[in-house]
Amino acid sequence: MRLRYELPAAAAAALTEALDGHEASGSHVRYAVPADLTADGAFGDGWTVATDALVAVQAPGARGWRTLPLRQVGRFRADNMVGSGRLVAEPASNGTGGAAHEQILAHYSMSHAPRYATLARGLNLLLDGKRPTVDETPDEGVCPTCGRRREPGTRVCRACTNRAAMMRRLWALARGHLRWVVAAVALFAAFTLLSLLPPQLTRVLIDNHLVPRRPHLQPILLLVGALAVTYGLTALTDALRGRAMAQLSNALARDLRSMVYTNVQKLSLGYLGTRDAGDILNRVSKDTRNIQQFINFWLTDSVAQGLFLVGVAVILFLREWRLAVLVLAPLPVVVLLAGGVWGHVRFLFRRQERLFDKVDTLLQDILSGIRVVKAFGRERAEVGRFRARSGELREVMRANERTWANLVPLWSFVMRAGEFLVFAVGGYLVLGDRMKLGELVQFVQYAMLLYGPLVWIAGLPRRFAESMTAAERVFEVIDEQPSVADAARPRRLPIAGHVRFEEVVFGYQSHDPVLHEVSLEVAPGEMIGIVGHSGSGKSTLINLLMRLYDPDEGRIIVDGVDLRAIELRDLHRQLGVVLQETFLFAGSIAENIAYAQPGATPRQLIAAAKVAGAHDFICAFPDGYDTRVGERGQRLSGGERQRVAIARAVLHDPRILILDEATASVDTETEEVIQAGLFQLMKGRTTFAIAHRLSTLRHADRLLVLDKGRIAEVGSHAELMAAGGIYHGLVQSQRRMNRHHAL
Amino acid sequence: MSEAKPGANGHGDAAEAAEHTAGHTAEHTAEVRMLAPAALRFAATEGGFLALTVTGGEKSEHYPRINAFRTFPLSDADRYLSLRDAGGKEIGILESLADLRSDQAALLRQELERRYFTPVIERVRSLKEEFGYSYWLVETDAGQRRFTVQSGKNNVTVVGERRLLIVDVDGNRFFVDDYHRLDRNMLKTVETLL
Repeated sequence: MRLRYELPAAAAAALTEALDGHEASGSHVRYAVPADLTADGAFGDGWTVATDALVAVQAPGARGWRTLPLRQVGRFRADNMVGSGRLVAEPASNGTGGAAHEQILAHYSMSHAPRYATLARGLNLLLDGKRPTVDETPDEGVCPTCGRRREPGTRVCRACTNRAAMMRRLWALARGHLRWVVAAVALFAAFTLLSLLPPQLTRVLIDNHLVPRRPHLQPILLLVGALAVTYGLTALTDALRGRAMAQLSNALARDLRSMVYTNVQKLSLGYLGTRDAGDILNRVSKDTRNIQQFINFWLTDSVAQGLFLVGVAVILFLREWRLAVLVLAPLPVVVLLAGGVWGHVRFLFRRQERLFDKVDTLLQDILSGIRVVKAFGRERAEVGRFRARSGELREVMRANERTWANLVPLWSFVMRAGEFLVFAVGGYLVLGDRMKLGELVQFVQYAMLLYGPLVWIAGLPRRFAESMTAAERVFEVIDEQPSVADAARPRRLPIAGHVRFEEVVFGYQSHDPVLHEVSLEVAPGEMIGIVGHSGSGKSTLINLLMRLYDPDEGRIIVDGVDLRAIELRDLHRQLGVVLQETFLFAGSIAENIAYAQPGATPRQLIAAAKVAGAHDFICAFPDGYDTRVGERGQRLSGGERQRVAIARAVLHDPRILILDEATASVDTETEEVIQAGLFQLMKGRTTFAIAHRLSTLRHADRLLVLDKGRIAEVGSHAELMAAGGIYHGLVQSQRRMNRHHAL
Repeated sequence: MSEAKPGANGHGDAAEAAEHTAGHTAEHTAEVRMLAPAALRFAATEGGFLALTVTGGEKSEHYPRINAFRTFPLSDADRYLSLRDAGGKEIGILESLADLRSDQAALLRQELERRYFTPVIERVRSLKEEFGYSYWLVETDAGQRRFTVQSGKNNVTVVGERRLLIVDVDGNRFFVDDYHRLDRNMLKTVETLL
């Protein structure tokens, strides 16, 4: 993020003037960021500058700078609102004069919101007597070459990817299957040559035998036989070519798909979280299919169609160049028209698709919410809504079909124009004995062959662009580097379980921190209960410990080693997780328990299930440990699923155990059973447990109370109750609730 | 945008406290306090904020800094305004900006327009879409602006009949009052972005 902009000369000069003679100006400029809004909400060019001792602001349009010494400020705050934000200085509480009231220093648009969030954080560090490090990483999601925006989370610019390089990469892929490429091209060439034969044969048949009325059966039969054989061979080569192509393109698509899939697995949640699962699915399936088609189309069709076009054109011009010119006369019109028509058709279909999506979404909405619809008696209203939407779609589709129906015949008429000309002029030549009838028929046949490749070429740029986009999207995923990645020389470390958070700051969007300067030290084997209101940062803290994300500032140390230095696989091998929503994969219970330890013996499985309190209910199933669960399998109750998940964690034998609302979805009785299992599991392991139900955490050595991303209280249950703070309030309100429910 | 959605993301201790002691104080918090326009005195503070004094009743209440929220920012921007103290606790709801005296209304309107800063696009000077983003150069009532919008994520939506709400990659917002009045080519591009 850019935090030290170059000030324009005039502003810089005025600033020097303003700072000149200022006591303790702290000459070193730490931050210089644009303030692009006036107080009245107009765009402009203003600046906010911070040194070690003061903040200076030049409002847009103003010449002078307003300065505020840091010692007069208690705290800085970046207030992000809707569409704009403001930098606010809160007064110092010790009352050292100067700013006695809260004041707005600068207004800015959302384009600078992340900058001001960092600036406020940095200024607050300065107020605390610390030195902020100004991280000036250039990447802001904008391509440094062309200035275009890149998709979030990617480092590949779709405009600047080199087309030639892309082709080389596709070719490199294809080269792995060179045999099939050669076969396909050779078969296509044979196919082309064969299709050039029949007009020749027809001409000989007409001019040498039919027109002179020579009833010699043998040569006629020979010619007809040759025609039949040619057509037969054409069909055969076409079939073989199709098979070669299918072989080639499927092999390529498989290569691509597995490359994409492998990399998606490696990518961090930070990347995956910014995209819909649908988008990634599309890249794995739809885009690779698109590339597959492209290879079909480009690698072989282009060779064949090119050959064909040149071959036919040469033959036509050699035969009768004047007629050839006539055949080609409508060509420019055809090509131009094709371009224009395609633009319009694409627009029409785009609009239709969008409406289709809308109808689809509405239908899905109603179907998945059908219980609500019925419960509120809204069936008729929903039918009406759906009817209105589909009526809209019908209108657009009707208009499109009408356009389409008019367009196609017009199109073929224009394409045929050359044919009419040839017949008119050719007929005249034949009647004047300057051309033979067979030659004319041959000519017309070739002319008709010509239009296929011509139309193909007209559509080429569009299809080329589409396929290139697909290739870019696919290669982008393949090329993407996970942002949470192993260090250059990652360490492997048998973890004992000592964990230390050092002033950790983190936000899913960097300008909106969810955790602020969290520091905590946990001894090996200790159980930490994490409590706090929803949105206080509990799960985020756990996500960082699991290293699904890296902290923006500060670090997490495990056994004296920075988490980022530990090999990810090694770390995850030693972490065990039980989440609120347990995901069971399609497969047997045994496979699910052994998920992280596929080689586990039945005895180990049973032992783990026993610890988790799952053995008994599993035995009661008709299929025992072989019971199929997951999407199409047996339905397990929430408590049963949870116990399978605990068994999974037991078998995993982690050094650090993470329980994120592990018992929230089960009733109190089941919870007691599960608690017993969990208690077994926690022995001797560092445990972090999140729970809303505070009674769940009664075994915790220490409780950590988070409030708005900060640690508000730490201590045992008794200590925190005695302190009478947030925890005390939470316990009280839950007791009230329980009483309420008991009544 | 921590202040944008006071209820939704739990900004403001008061809202949260109320949530967690639910049951006891439910009757109290469920009450909607409509503020009488005549009882309100807004004043600009030295620091650039808005202060409010509510008179009437037994004693007048003074709030050195308030935040004003639109409850229907898209469909009815000037009605049902939620006024909140610096901690995020709702003081009450003002039914309509038009009920205030004009100088008072101007003060509140300025505060609202700062919070919901959404320039109105008066002219689109250039607009092109490529590679999943549209690039806009526009004249707005707040000045000229260049911005980028990601396609296909509902970043361009129709609000009401013909008004367009556009949210750019940074979270800046723009309105187009009647998008059918855009010229034909722009309209075509906009149609594909919807």
